[in-house]
Amino acid sequence: MKNPAHLLPSTRREFLQYGARGIGLLAFSRFAPGFLVESAYAQAPAPEKDRSILVLVQLAGGNDGLNTVVPYADPNYRRLRPTLGLPEDQLLKLNDKLALNAGCAAMHQLFKDGKLGIVQNVGYPNPNRSHFRSTEIWETGSGSNEFLPTGWLGRFFDNACNGTPKGGDPCGVNISNEVPQSFLSEHQHPTFSLAAGRNRRQQSENLALLEQMVQTPAGHDDHDNAGYLRHTMMDALVTEKKFQKVLANYQTKAVYPGTPFAGSLRNVAALIAAGTATRVYYVSLGGFDTHNNQLNAHANLLKTLSEGLAAFQTDLEAKKLDSQVLTMTFSEFGRRPSENESRGTDHGTAAPLFVLGSKLKPGVHGTAPSLDVARNQDLTYSTDFRAVYSTVLDQWLGCKSSAILDQNYKPLGFI
Amino acid sequence: MSQSANALSPVEAWQPLPAAGWNEAAARHLLQRIGFSATPAELARVLADGPVKSVERYFARMPALPKPRQIADLEAEGPEIYRNMASGSPEARRLAQQDARERSREALFDLTIKWLQLASRPENSPAEKWLLFLSDVWVVGAEKVKNSALIYQHQDYIRKFALGTAPNLAKLMSRSPAMIVYLDLQQSKPEAPNENFARELFELFTLGEGNYTENDIKQAARAFTGYRQRQGEFAFLQRQHDDGRKTVFGQSGNFTGDDVIGLVFKQKAAGTFLPRQMVSFYLSEEPLPADLTDALGAWWAGEGYDLRKLAMKFFTSRVFFSPAYRDAYIKSPVQFYLGLVQDLGLSVAPLPRQLIGSLRSMGQMPFDPPNVRGWVGGRSWINSATLSARRQLIQALLSPLNEDNLNGDEQIEIAAAYADGISNFTLDQARLAEWAKLPAADRARELVKRHVPDLAGTELERQVATFLERSAQHSQAAAATRAALATLLESPNYQLC
Repeated sequence: MKNPAHLLPSTRREFLQYGARGIGLLAFSRFAPGFLVESAYAQAPAPEKDRSILVLVQLAGGNDGLNTVVPYADPNYRRLRPTLGLPEDQLLKLNDKLALNAGCAAMHQLFKDGKLGIVQNVGYPNPNRSHFRSTEIWETGSGSNEFLPTGWLGRFFDNACNGTPKGGDPCGVNISNEVPQSFLSEHQHPTFSLAAGRNRRQQSENLALLEQMVQTPAGHDDHDNAGYLRHTMMDALVTEKKFQKVLANYQTKAVYPGTPFAGSLRNVAALIAAGTATRVYYVSLGGFDTHNNQLNAHANLLKTLSEGLAAFQTDLEAKKLDSQVLTMTFSEFGRRPSENESRGTDHGTAAPLFVLGSKLKPGVHGTAPSLDVARNQDLTYSTDFRAVYSTVLDQWLGCKSSAILDQNYKPLGFI
Repeated sequence: MSQSANALSPVEAWQPLPAAGWNEAAARHLLQRIGFSATPAELARVLADGPVKSVERYFARMPALPKPRQIADLEAEGPEIYRNMASGSPEARRLAQQDARERSREALFDLTIKWLQLASRPENSPAEKWLLFLSDVWVVGAEKVKNSALIYQHQDYIRKFALGTAPNLAKLMSRSPAMIVYLDLQQSKPEAPNENFARELFELFTLGEGNYTENDIKQAARAFTGYRQRQGEFAFLQRQHDDGRKTVFGQSGNFTGDDVIGLVFKQKAAGTFLPRQMVSFYLSEEPLPADLTDALGAWWAGEGYDLRKLAMKFFTSRVFFSPAYRDAYIKSPVQFYLGLVQDLGLSVAPLPRQLIGSLRSMGQMPFDPPNVRGWVGGRSWINSATLSARRQLIQALLSPLNEDNLNGDEQIEIAAAYADGISNFTLDQARLAEWAKLPAADRARELVKRHVPDLAGTELERQVATFLERSAQHSQAAAATRAALATLLESPNYQLC
């Protein structure tokens, strides 16, 4: 899109060329866009662009772990899954015990290439089976009886992103329907939400209109609250405008599938490639609450996940950014080992999660759950999800996990 | 902005708005401030009725909120839950506690949705906002109380006296089981009176800082010893009550809790405290000049602290309608959400995950304020993350509901609502297509007039028209209309009321 004169500047240089147009008055007042007044934050260390980046992929709804990483050799699996049990010859084998769902072909290749790790049987004590509550536990990094007002990534921002990153870039970017609870922090940090799967041309037109609106003097300019809102919004728009430009001009080095999920990952790749100072991206893929007829639906979801992640990794590698990025999946819970009467599965407990990147120790980590369970009995976790977080914080993001989590966890071997 | 308020003398300020000041803009101001938005139907009616008759109508009685099913279940099973929590092995007790807590949270979500549904009906909005206001004074928090049945009961207690007198409300509040838990009266006994409730009673509920001494708190705390809640009922334990002589506000006697509340309302500050809170909740973050609130306080004390009379006086006064206050107040997340629901003609969706998630990202979980002070409000509502959350809410309400992304329990809720004939949880796309048939200029005028009327006829309206014209050529008029609408709702002006 062309950059008509009335639009907001997104760099300092553009700003200086802006002259005495409408924005000028505001910009030199205390309501100037944040990136112009960032000297206020100058003392604070901001993340640098060559530092490690985490991409978190939420599998919303509760992913069925047993049909994702399948313990095909365990006779209990067939017992628990009389109709949903996946035939051995349709599976993608990882070793003599485990195999991936056929929907995970692209991830299977990543596994063979040494870029995909699996952490088995991740959960927490006294598991909660409510979507809302269990998501909250995962996102805040709390114990199951503990209620924390901040998210684990929000606390990371509090500890590591003191002030605004370079160029006014946000600390965290989410591509999901809501701002994730993971991002909630004690102090204020810029975070940014990108909509998934929206028409980009229309979005940028909408943006242009909003920019005009923020700048058009109308009535209550001099009023403090109106001015404050315009200022805060301008900040957000400057970021959005910058991002839109990045997304619109991005040349991928991989073919992304046409799914909104893959589109979201493409956008993450675009922002990373542009040197955005953001350290955490959060992408959500929904639909995992498979209570009935799950066989095809679940395989398709895994295919969406798998192909999206593979394109993302290929793209990052071609751009030589892969060593900077770690991608990790999580889901609020796994599903019940016993299938239900509707050829689906109900809410359960522990499940495997995936880590993806060029700098990790690939392979299968942790121990598999025992399937020697009675009908409708749940799995017992063997790796605490906070041990996964602590590994990511200490060994990837370079932030002391003891400042973020309530206790010390033994690092896992995946990084 | 306080200039024009200053321009009114304390007597003039609280006189009724003269007829000459009554017009559509004033009516809109009234509706947006006492409720959540100005829907065309209410606006027409209020404009015809005038402020006095309108406020009388809105404050005639408090709507009833029938006990939500999950709250009733929680209450019914309360005794058993308590039994389980108190017996068996430590592990069994812990599990019982966890179970109780979960049930309580589920019930809280049920309560939240039912309350939002009640408050979203325009005829109820002013009374329900009044309830929100009083709940933001007499604060309890679900997180600490841990029993949503008590949270519902607390709101119900406020409802009982919301249009009664402040002393009666205060006395009931001191007996609210949720309050007894929240501010630790439960443990308060003669040997160790707990000062938490007495302190907040003076500081945050009735008088404000500077109007009592530390000794007043210590002595008053003794008067509230023996207040207990037993399985959701108030109980007064004479044995745990200190019935000795206390000196509070310079008066001595064998005071009970009610006596202390009686003394509170003999203080001058009791008259001005609530009016000041009203100013900050309804009118402006900046306090009114003290002589104005003093005048109102003195009048209100003389009226026996009648809350309905206070509301009548305040919401029909010249100072309330002062042009300096128009379109300048930052909407709270609850108002922003309910205002959108009303402005877009929607129903509150029975989807706690989305709805509560959105309110939480915007910074306001109903029934769970950050602390006993309640929500700070004003500019603290706005930062990059909360603005982002506001924009995401708008996008969600303007796009069709993606049922594939719903969890199983949510699909069941939605199906049940459809069966009841309620399906307008997001903007009707057919209505959008209808609008799209109008010429761009007319559409722009309508959208602006409806959603950001303070911008009607400005340059901005022309920009919206230009935007719509450009997109008409792409035969995407409906999508462009939605984009324009989203933009107007995301604009700074729409965040204000």
